[in-house]
Order: sequence, then C-alpha cells, then structure tokens
Amino acid sequence: MKRVEYVLASAAQGFWRNPVMSLASTFTVGLMLLLFAFFLATDRGLQEAVSVLESKVELALFLEDDTRVSDVLALRARIEADPAVSRVLYVSKDDAMARLREIAERRKDFDIVDTSANPLQASLEIKLSRPQDAARLALALRDEVGKGVVYEVVDNPSVVDKLLTITRVLSIGGLAVLAMMLIVALFVIVNTIRIAVHARRDEIEIMKLVGATDWFVRWPFILEGMLVGALGAVAALAVVLVAAGPMSNSLAGFLEIVPLSFGSAFLWQLVASVFALALLVGGGGAMLSMRTHLAK
Amino acid sequence: MDLQIESGDFVFLVGSSGAGKSSLIRLLIRDELPSTGRVWVDGQDVVRMPRSAVPRLRRRVGVVFQDFKLLPRKTVAENVAFALLVTGHSADVVREETDRALSLVGLSPRREHFPDQLSGGEQQRTAIARALVSRPRILIADEPTGNLDPVTSWEIIKLLVRVNELGTTLVMATHNAEIVNALRRRVIHLDRGMVVRDEREGLYAA
Repeated sequence: MKRVEYVLASAAQGFWRNPVMSLASTFTVGLMLLLFAFFLATDRGLQEAVSVLESKVELALFLEDDTRVSDVLALRARIEADPAVSRVLYVSKDDAMARLREIAERRKDFDIVDTSANPLQASLEIKLSRPQDAARLALALRDEVGKGVVYEVVDNPSVVDKLLTITRVLSIGGLAVLAMMLIVALFVIVNTIRIAVHARRDEIEIMKLVGATDWFVRWPFILEGMLVGALGAVAALAVVLVAAGPMSNSLAGFLEIVPLSFGSAFLWQLVASVFALALLVGGGGAMLSMRTHLAK
Repeated sequence: MDLQIESGDFVFLVGSSGAGKSSLIRLLIRDELPSTGRVWVDGQDVVRMPRSAVPRLRRRVGVVFQDFKLLPRKTVAENVAFALLVTGHSADVVREETDRALSLVGLSPRREHFPDQLSGGEQQRTAIARALVSRPRILIADEPTGNLDPVTSWEIIKLLVRVNELGTTLVMATHNAEIVNALRRRVIHLDRGMVVRDEREGLYAA
C-alpha cells in the first residue's frame, strides 16, 4: 500500500530530519519512562514485601513461667477476637528451646553450652491481618503486663511501619514527580512535533489543497511522536534491565529484609505498561501540537 | 456580491491587487469562510458543509498559483502523483492518472526531473498536471502567468483553454490585459470586494 508507505516514510524522515531535537525528546521521554518503571517496580516490590511481612509474626507476648494454662487460653481467645488479628500461635518453653537449637546448628558462632535448664519463656505469637494495627494492639496488651500472665510484649512492627511509610511516601512523591515528568515529556514532544510540522509546512499546505483528510495529514506526525515514545521506552527498559538486579539488592539491604524478586508475569506487565505510556505520551503529544496547527 | 459561473465556462477575474480576487478563490475552496452570505460550488453549499466534507470538495476543485507550490525534493511525476497518493488511491490508479495528466500538459519526457531543473513554464505545467490529476470539475488559476515571460504565458494559456475545451470549468484571476483581450471570454471585474463589471466576451478594461 503506497499510502501506508508514505505515512511511515514521512514519520521516519521527520524523526531524522532534526536528529538533535528528536534524540533530546527521546531522552526526556526515556527518563520519564524510567521513573515510571522504577515507580512500578518499587511499588510492586514494597507491596510484596508488606505481604510477606504480614504473614510473619508481628507481636509476641512472653508469658510468666508459672501461668496457668486456662489463663493463657482465655487471653488467647481474647486476642483472637480482635479483628486485626489473623492467628495466635502458642509457643511453649520446649518449642522455644527447639527453635534455639535449630538456629544454633545453622550458625557456627553460636553454641549452646548448658542444656540442663530452660530459661526461655513460653509465648503467644500473634499474626495480624492488618499490620497497621500492630501499634494499637501492642499498646492494649502492655496493660496486661504485671497482672500475672504476660511478662513482656515485644512488638516488631518497626519494619512494617518503615515499609508502610515508604510505600506511602513513594506513592505520593512518586506520583507527583511522575506527573511533573509527564508534563515535561509532553511539552518536549509537542515542541518536537511542532518543529517537524513547521519543516513540512509546504507539504501540508499542498496536501490540504489537493484534498487530503485531516487524519491523513496528522498520521505521519502522530507516528513520529509514537516513534519517539517507543525509542524512549526501549532506552528506559534497557536501563531497567541493567540496573534492576543491583537496585533491588540495595533496596533489600536497606530494608534489612525480603529480597525482592519479580516473576516474569510482572516483567511483561512492566514492559507493556511502559510501552503503553510511551505510545500514549508520544501520540498524545503529537495530537496536541497538531490540534493547534490544523485548527486554522 | 451575487455571482454565478456556469459549468464549462471560462471566466477571467480581473481587478487591481487587493480587489478581492484571491479572497474569492479562497472562498471557493473553503480556505476561508465568508462573514455573511453563501457559496455554492458544484451544487454544494460550501459555507454550511461540515469540516469533514472539505477534502472531497477540494478533490473536485483544482487550483494553481503564481508560485507553483511544487515540492522541491520530488520529481515532476512524484509531485503530480502526490495529489492522488495523499487522497488514498491505489498504486495502479496513481500511475495511470499521473501518466494521463503528464501527457495532457506535455511533460511526459520531463517526468523524472526535479522542479529546479525545469523552466518556469514547465513548473507551472507540472502544477496544472497536479491540479488536474484528480479530474476536477473546476480548475481555478490564481495569476498562473504572473511569474512567466510572455511567450511562456501564452503556452500556459493555450493549455488552460484546451483543458476548458475538454469540459473543465475554468476560473482565472489575472493582471495580463493582453491575454484577456485576445481571448474575449467572460470578464468579471472586482474592486474592493464588489463586482463592478461582468461582461460576456469582455475586455481587460471597460
């Protein structure tokens, strides 16, 4: 089809006619997409981290050594009634010692020298369905300390808190930065296409004169915008590919927990999202600059 | 202004610069809309037609200008074919109609030349071929001989007369008194946007 050929050739020609501007806008779009990819990956990583932590113990009640079983069971029932709690696990003194032995076997710098007595306390381990309620629950349970059953409340939600805060900050901050980058990228694309339109103004004038439709006039420029977007996407994804490993490791190190790893499903989702945004921004930016030009 | 041009006619628009010749032409191809009044072209209300109908109108109305408006990086044949290419014709149609238009204006031997390798007359004939390639019902020429020497001007006029004889309505704005007086066609004289004279077999000046 000569017509399709013409549109494609015009788009490619437009891109290379002004390579500095085209590459500058490709770079800007690439940067924006990189941020977008980073945002998606981090958001997903944190979500996964949170969900992993959610399945972990978040509160532990260490019990007085001479507590009666019936008191423990009553306490356990009370805790389980709280809607934020998903499960309460009873760990006896023997269970606790068995765990310690297990740890000792795995670590060379750790030795149990005397096993004649068991100084470890029995405990209730509480798993939460709503990790953000950990602080409230811990506060309530601290009232029980010294009443004969609960010896100590240990909450370990600092990591969860950290994660929830980071997730929130990243969501809001990331979205704000992303929005700004999106505007910058749009602005640059609009200008790139405007220059391309200007370079072809004679051709456009003749096209309109001989009765080409508005869409036929627009398509080469929209495709040029999409080409800028697509090249930006390729560049951004290349950077992601190279940087993803080291970055997720350092992130895991920073949070002192869960190593992040994404399945291939998520990677494809990421690639698709980045390309979708790239084509949308590229094509949309071109449309914007065509609107102002073709309106007259 | 109340003006009617019959199908198949050959009409000169005369008048000093700024009299409204070019504005009238722009109204006919809806490059401009009138503040009041109506314009009909080939049986269609140009003023009230939706924007989407404008391309179809322009395919039925060919236009040539004083400055040719050729694309410098395309050959003669490509310039002519361009009009069909961008209006979505198949490759076969583009080739056939381009050949036909080029032979009509006598440029078949120069088809692979670029505009800057052509004389002014040849450039204008290329522009005419481009305007005719979509077989329009009307051909509008806005001072087509304005940049050409007298001999070349006559060649262009002879070509336009032949196009008219083949059935295309011709509207030509011109300052060339010699041509108008020699041809004795209908002359519409504009001044400050008004028709001040409209004569069958008229002369350049009253």
